[in-house]
Amino acid sequence: MSAYFIEKDRRARLASVLLVIALMTIISGLFYHQIIRYKSFLAQSEENRIRIRPIIPKRGVIFDRNKEMIADNRLSFTVSIVPMEMAKEVTLPRLAGLTGADTSAIKQKLNANFISKYIPAAVLRDQDISVISALEENSEHFPGVTYSVESVRRYVEGISAETFIGYIAEVAPDEIDKESQWGYRPGRLIGKKGIEKAYDRELRGIEGTDFIEVSARGQIIGTYGGRERVPAVPGADLVLTIDAALQREIVRFYDSLQSSGGVVALDPTTGEILALASFPGLDPNLFSGVIPDDVWRSIIDDPRHPLLNRPTSSMYPPGSTAKLLTAGAALEKGVLTPETMLRGCGGGMRFGNRVFKCWQEQGHGRLDLYHAVEQSCNVYFYQVGQILGLDAWNEFAVKSGFGRKSGIDISGELSGIAPSRAYYDKAFGQNRWSKLLILNIAIGQGEFIVTPLQLTQFYAGLANGGKVFKPHLLKEIRYPGKAIQKIEPSLSFTLPFANNTISVLSRSLELVVQGDRGTAKGLRNKYYTIAGKTGTAQNPHGKDHSWFVGYAPSNDPKILVCALVENAGHGSEVAAPLAGKIIKRYLLGDSTHNVIAHNVAESLVSE
Amino acid sequence: MTVDYKSLDWKFVLATAGLSLIGILLIYSAHYDSSTGSSLNFYMRQSIWLLLAIILFNAVIHIPVRVIDFIAYPLYGLALLLLALVLVAGETRMGASRWFSLGFMSVSPSDIAKLALIVALSRFFAYTKLPPQSKRRLAFSAMLAFIPALLVMKQPDLGSSLVFVVLLFSLWFWSGLSPAYLILIISPLVSLVAAFHWVTWVIYLVLLIIFMLVLKPGILFGVIVFISNLAFGMITPFIWNHLEDYQKLRVITFLDPGRDPQRAGYQIIQSKIAIGSGGIIGKGYLEGSQSQLKFLPERHTDFVFSVLGEEFGFVGTLTVVLLFGFIFYRGIRIASRCRSKFTSNLVWGALTIIFFQFFVNVGMTFGLMPVTGLPLPFLSYGGTSLLLNWTLIGIIVLADYHRSEY
Repeated sequence: MSAYFIEKDRRARLASVLLVIALMTIISGLFYHQIIRYKSFLAQSEENRIRIRPIIPKRGVIFDRNKEMIADNRLSFTVSIVPMEMAKEVTLPRLAGLTGADTSAIKQKLNANFISKYIPAAVLRDQDISVISALEENSEHFPGVTYSVESVRRYVEGISAETFIGYIAEVAPDEIDKESQWGYRPGRLIGKKGIEKAYDRELRGIEGTDFIEVSARGQIIGTYGGRERVPAVPGADLVLTIDAALQREIVRFYDSLQSSGGVVALDPTTGEILALASFPGLDPNLFSGVIPDDVWRSIIDDPRHPLLNRPTSSMYPPGSTAKLLTAGAALEKGVLTPETMLRGCGGGMRFGNRVFKCWQEQGHGRLDLYHAVEQSCNVYFYQVGQILGLDAWNEFAVKSGFGRKSGIDISGELSGIAPSRAYYDKAFGQNRWSKLLILNIAIGQGEFIVTPLQLTQFYAGLANGGKVFKPHLLKEIRYPGKAIQKIEPSLSFTLPFANNTISVLSRSLELVVQGDRGTAKGLRNKYYTIAGKTGTAQNPHGKDHSWFVGYAPSNDPKILVCALVENAGHGSEVAAPLAGKIIKRYLLGDSTHNVIAHNVAESLVSE
Repeated sequence: MTVDYKSLDWKFVLATAGLSLIGILLIYSAHYDSSTGSSLNFYMRQSIWLLLAIILFNAVIHIPVRVIDFIAYPLYGLALLLLALVLVAGETRMGASRWFSLGFMSVSPSDIAKLALIVALSRFFAYTKLPPQSKRRLAFSAMLAFIPALLVMKQPDLGSSLVFVVLLFSLWFWSGLSPAYLILIISPLVSLVAAFHWVTWVIYLVLLIIFMLVLKPGILFGVIVFISNLAFGMITPFIWNHLEDYQKLRVITFLDPGRDPQRAGYQIIQSKIAIGSGGIIGKGYLEGSQSQLKFLPERHTDFVFSVLGEEFGFVGTLTVVLLFGFIFYRGIRIASRCRSKFTSNLVWGALTIIFFQFFVNVGMTFGLMPVTGLPLPFLSYGGTSLLLNWTLIGIIVLADYHRSEY
């Protein structure tokens, strides 16, 4: 029996050793978790119970140059889901039933806007107050559903605001950047176009943060005292150079035309854009809420491209408006004087073995430069182009701002094409193109294409003694508090023309309106003189596009208007009268019978 | 039978009582609501169970040893009957039929079976004349353990069925089986686990061969061991495919809790956060955010130790672990001083059950062990668990009281 006890003692000792090893294993495990990794676990436990609730700042309001509000915010209800608290089979179908939305659509939004399982993800925007009160009253039937008040953008209607303001919408996956200070988180709104996009950072302000304590079920226990609340910084308000009243009139004029096209109006002495409109337009309020898929489809599929911003992002041959560039270049090169009479126009002229036509079949006869511009004679400018040559033309075109972007402060601008030797070599092969291509370019047809904004810029230079100020839409940034940042005009470039060249060109532009045979003599009036040029852009796909670009008063320009009406025929027929009305509206106000306006007009005339 | 209370091992009983009281404190905290300043009535119920458990303990220490000896096999038979019955007539909760409802309480027959198996195995090893390595001895005792283990696995309750198997190995060891043989006998089970990846399996098999070359257990035995290792390893995929989904999930989660933090891994992650964030002295009683804000699941039952870790820190967990250590250390001494083989075996079996639950439960709270659903003895909420463990303590104290008797 004693052998049995000795054996038992040995086993008891072995067991004791194993016990000590087991206890040491547990104790070291506890030591590792509770002492070595204490900080990390403490942080995790804090993260568990503290929910960071973003405070969305008020988006800046946008005013026109006369402080008329053109974009502000209204309150709307956004329904969100806290993924952690959601009851899988219950929450989404019930929410869909309540709001009339599709369960799968809500699910898709939830996935797209998921940040973390504790943070509410926006699923339905701009919900009716009745939906919210139903949620409020039956919250226990909607586990995980919360709502928040958000501001929604509201734009003044009838001013083609979408053209320059653009719109805002939820961030797309590729715009999300959670890391950076300016990062956009899922579900946030971001400017997608125009001013809203260009100055998004100023407009949106800086998000604040609220720290609240929650239970595992997401029930809010209260404010978490351990960390200071960070208030949101509201977005800056913007004052634009746009004149909303003028913009409204332009929309009214244009609506009666029932055409596509665009208008740019600016102050040539500063580059401030007074009006920027594209037709057909879109109501930017469409985008502020939730845009239904079918509405979006119909916008995208519309053959008239309502989303296209024609003044900056659509390119057309400039037509006869380009003749001033041809003339200026030839004068500067010394191959032409204002008095030079070239061979007479008989409705066309043979170059090589081809006849190049003038727009007037009976011909213009022999003309000097002034009258060639006045009557927009193609034959005269074919000859100037031939004398000038492609290389010289291209040199002056590029220096005059063609073929490159103006640098306007909204995105999506195109640069047009100012053809060169290299361009043709590339398009047709080395020297495998006709030297006569310059003839068409000289009258603004062919491969020479421009945006309305580029043309505006060139004429602004002519109106302003050669100085071209960068076209811009922003006049002031009004930061919260008192700070106001004014945007000063900035010189973009100077036209490559000497002063007397510019005065010859301006003189000839005046003749277009004032001359007896001027193509825009219909714009003649007793209050002010307009200097401008009509243009007809040949359109292989249909009726020609109608151009007019001009400024007034011609001796002291206050406004320059560039009007393009697609498929409307001659510039003199549609675009010139339209531009005339715009200029009149701007210089004289809404009634010529208005005494003050009349007096202003009188003083303008007397200058 | 009269008992001289002065000669009882009071330190042993007090350590147990201390753990039970700590348990009630923690259960109170686990369901404390700071807005009302009160707790759900779990702690009250546990207090009543504790009173009942102490009365039961008092009854157990009055039982004459020969009565236990006498009822050993009838008790075992009854336990098997109940285990079979619960499969067809038991109350089903969370997909498992583990309980009989008696109205005021639920009885888990597997707890009764644990007690019955201790007594039955203790009796068998105390009186058998077969040498420890004898195949008949091993086979018969294995049969005693595997029948209840399989019935419990059917419920399904893998954690409890492991308790039976561990009890068998532990009593084999205590009743004289050479540790080396024990290792070789257990080795096929290790092979089962190692075979989850072929690289670990090959390394394991090589180590096994080296171990056998050193030990020289005899050609036939060695070959049988090696072949069963191969066989067990090869059926791993088959077993895996037949595991219940929740069992697979537990294995996967144990190996990689971060893999699915929302669901299966959630418990382990939250438990680790609770324990780790307690630091040295803890967040204070009723102040643990993991417990109070309900991030911690099953916090009055399986994860009561995590509440301790969060609110009382390393000081608290160390205290409880050392109290358990004291019980085991003293228990081992009691087992080795008992002059009767039967009572010594009883003590050893009781200790094994308490230790296994303790080790698996505490290990689970910080990811050392998989989640098995085994409660922490004396601390976790649960009436039958408390009654069983206090009965086991009663048996140990009883055996100690009669240590000089053969």
